Amino acid sequence: MNVFYDHFERHAHGEGLKGHSTHYCAGCGHGIVHRDLADTIGELGIQDRTVLISPVGCSVFAYYYFDVGNSQAAHGRAPAVALGHKLANPEAVVISYQGDGDLASIGLAETISIAQMGLPITVIFINNAVYGMTGGQMAPTTLLGQKTVTSPQGRQPAMGKPLRMAELIAQLDGPVYVERVALFEARQRVKAKKAIQKALRLQMEGRGYAFVEILSECPTHLKMSPEATEEWVRTQMEPVFPLGVKKDLAVEPWFDRHAPSFSPEAVLGLSGAEPATVRTAARHRLAPRLGTKDLSLKLAGAGGDGAQIAALLLTRAAIDEGFDSTHIPSYGPESRGGTSYADVHIAEEEVLNPAAPDPHVLIAFNAPSLAKFAPAVREGGLIIYDRTMITEPPAFPPNRRVLAVPCTQLAVDLGRPVAKNVVALGALQAATDLLPAAGLLSTMRHVFKDKSSLISLNEAAFAAGQQVVDPESE
Amino acid sequence: MPSVTTNSRPKPFLDPAYCKGCLRCVEACPKGCISPGTRINPATGLVPVEINLEICNGCGLCISACPEPFGLRTSPATPGAELEREFQIKDPSKLFGRKVVDLHESPGLPDEEIELPACEPLVLKGTYAAAIGALLAGCRHVFGYPITPSTEGAELMAKILPHLDGAFVQAVSEVAAVNMMYGAGGAGVPSMTFTSSPGFSLMLEGISYMIGAEIPGVFVNIMRGGPGLGNIGPEQADIKLACRGLGHGNTHALVLAPSTPQEMLDLTMEAFALSFRYRNPVVILGDGYLGQMTGQVKLPTHLRKPGRPAWAVWGDRSHRQNLICSIHLAEPDLEEHNRRLNAKYAEIASREQRSDLYRCEDAEVLVIACNTPARMAKGAVEAARRQGIKAGLLRPISLWPFPGDALAEAIRHVRQIIMVEASPGQLENELRLTLSHAGIVPPPIAAVRHFGGVLPQESEILAKISEFREALA
Repeated sequence: MNVFYDHFERHAHGEGLKGHSTHYCAGCGHGIVHRDLADTIGELGIQDRTVLISPVGCSVFAYYYFDVGNSQAAHGRAPAVALGHKLANPEAVVISYQGDGDLASIGLAETISIAQMGLPITVIFINNAVYGMTGGQMAPTTLLGQKTVTSPQGRQPAMGKPLRMAELIAQLDGPVYVERVALFEARQRVKAKKAIQKALRLQMEGRGYAFVEILSECPTHLKMSPEATEEWVRTQMEPVFPLGVKKDLAVEPWFDRHAPSFSPEAVLGLSGAEPATVRTAARHRLAPRLGTKDLSLKLAGAGGDGAQIAALLLTRAAIDEGFDSTHIPSYGPESRGGTSYADVHIAEEEVLNPAAPDPHVLIAFNAPSLAKFAPAVREGGLIIYDRTMITEPPAFPPNRRVLAVPCTQLAVDLGRPVAKNVVALGALQAATDLLPAAGLLSTMRHVFKDKSSLISLNEAAFAAGQQVVDPESE
Repeated sequence: MPSVTTNSRPKPFLDPAYCKGCLRCVEACPKGCISPGTRINPATGLVPVEINLEICNGCGLCISACPEPFGLRTSPATPGAELEREFQIKDPSKLFGRKVVDLHESPGLPDEEIELPACEPLVLKGTYAAAIGALLAGCRHVFGYPITPSTEGAELMAKILPHLDGAFVQAVSEVAAVNMMYGAGGAGVPSMTFTSSPGFSLMLEGISYMIGAEIPGVFVNIMRGGPGLGNIGPEQADIKLACRGLGHGNTHALVLAPSTPQEMLDLTMEAFALSFRYRNPVVILGDGYLGQMTGQVKLPTHLRKPGRPAWAVWGDRSHRQNLICSIHLAEPDLEEHNRRLNAKYAEIASREQRSDLYRCEDAEVLVIACNTPARMAKGAVEAARRQGIKAGLLRPISLWPFPGDALAEAIRHVRQIIMVEASPGQLENELRLTLSHAGIVPPPIAAVRHFGGVLPQESEILAKISEFREALA
């Protein structure tokens, strides 16, 4: 089975010689690897499973020749593209064919990270110690002293010594098979083809990632005859890039992916969706005492005070009640112990503006939050603060209702200081009748359904907050 | 001619037109049958090797040394034919017989819509809503790199996708992530990423390639403060990038700007459909506020099970002839490709404008804003109306294409436009370009702008609207 196209139509529309000749220079090693690869694909019977990723470099046009699925990648990104293909269709045999600039320079991060992932793809690496397509510049694999157009005096150690990719890849845990082979004589070419066969077989059998580095000839940019270039690879390159198997693990087939599921039940279950229920009770009126159809609240404290959880409980309870509601968290840069405040809106119809720069209600758990946000509470609004933590409250603007609630103390009395946020919600409910108490409690039970030990505690904390609100405390 | 009955292995055959004269076969042949040529082949201008088969034993080493697919190969069925071939190019298929290819063009598999049972609304933050929208759109391949404030979407995908036999990959960088999308999208499966401004910058290279190669994919960019590392507060300063700067070359992508968690779900779902309809990436631009904002999210009536496009490089027989590629080496080919892209962009521009108009019927002051600032603006418009000012809000949902048709309609009675944005006028630039192309001379344009993680507030938008009260009276 010939895996080359009959006619290279993609090569300048297949006109004249280009219909059957490659674009490679005379004596270039790419053509030999192409033949070995094409023959191997045919012999393994995987022509109808293969996706070949062409890189950027001289082999950018590999898709002119191989009669398989073809994708052409950006410079250095072929392994990432290969991984995308492999995960999209695990049945495909995906080959990332790359040169030294592509694989070992601009694509080094992709090369190493995807090798370490170890998913079964095959990387064919053509190392000819020079950039070809861009015109003979220094490659990461250029030898010390080797003259190129960007190392005209010869490569110096400070330009980086030649990078031994096969050894580098072999010391990673991901790959199962790494070998360096060459093309400079018949015996080496036989080994090269065997290495390609083995690498593809490992992928077909789902055993893992394989990497074949092939020392190749670039007569054009080495400015030598093809024969002299073969000799140069043998005498100059090979000592720096020793041939041989660098890694060969015996691994049982393990790569076995199922087709993705599109089951509605699975998707809904994982999304946390619940079956629709029929509402019978008449809807609660939103905080009639505050006289608004779009109520804004700010809950503020130190990180860990529970302002965000209380805000989310309010939002969820409001939505469960049939209102529109939003919550926007804002954290300081620290994960713990920084500032934390939440803007909540609850609207009868639609929350227009979800921010709460001048809230109707402020709940403050620490002194800095109270000092910062109390002046912003709008006229006729409500301020609830934790009296346990804030012993010297600031002067409040007039015409604001202020409730000093010993949130932390009440929670400590219940044995869980962190329940102070729920104490504050109890106080809020008693002071405003914002949402029905039964609804809030029901939402709370639902939210904590996986932590049932917290439910009775939070119910007690909510009740404690409700009870403490009486006209005397204002 | 001496007998070669001692070895029946096939002998090499060479059409001189396909020999570049590299001489690798000369070095490979142990018997010395091949020698450097002495005559220039007039068809190629090259000097092919000369082969003397008298002592050839058919070892095949010359064939394995030849770098040309149609170079040295085993003899054709009718030896002797080569005599008439000299000095002319011959199609090898005429010599060797045409390869039998029984490929038929892939018909493609259509998407399937699967009904969902009625559900309670979810209470979700914006990034989660986008993730659920993607799942409902059939996306099972998510590639990303962590960056605040977009990461929660990716985190949710990392949690859910293994249960659906999907794949979430945390790539080594945004550059790798976008190229994994290039691969998965090239295979015809829906894929996406969550990112934020600096990460989106890194993805632009890949987006240009995806547009060039016509690969679908959805990018959720939760914009944060910039330039540089900036901060993690909400901004809208990637509008320029998404609408005008998607990497190098002639690029455009549909850019959708949700303003609620509900729209994060709805528009993400729609983005996948649009992305496949036009074989082009689609960008969802949210702001940092929207990514973090929790609100109610109603679920759609159906989810989508994606089919397989006819053009996909899937790696099977029916898709074998397909190619994903952004190179067109010949100038006329690339010009033609760009003309086709332009036609596609024009079709998108005329068919995919999306906007939301609020109280615009008789508006004299038209506020224009998108994302979260549009919600602040809506509050301000409502407040202005209570003060007797005829204010309205045009909220572009598609930023590219800018909703020029709706704008032309809404602007009829307008005497003052106020742009509200968390960017240095990037939305205004889209507006002005649209007006300019449409030949419309706009009324005066004022602006409320913020930067660095600060969003315009309702009170200042209202104050700006009120500035024009007397002028309009």
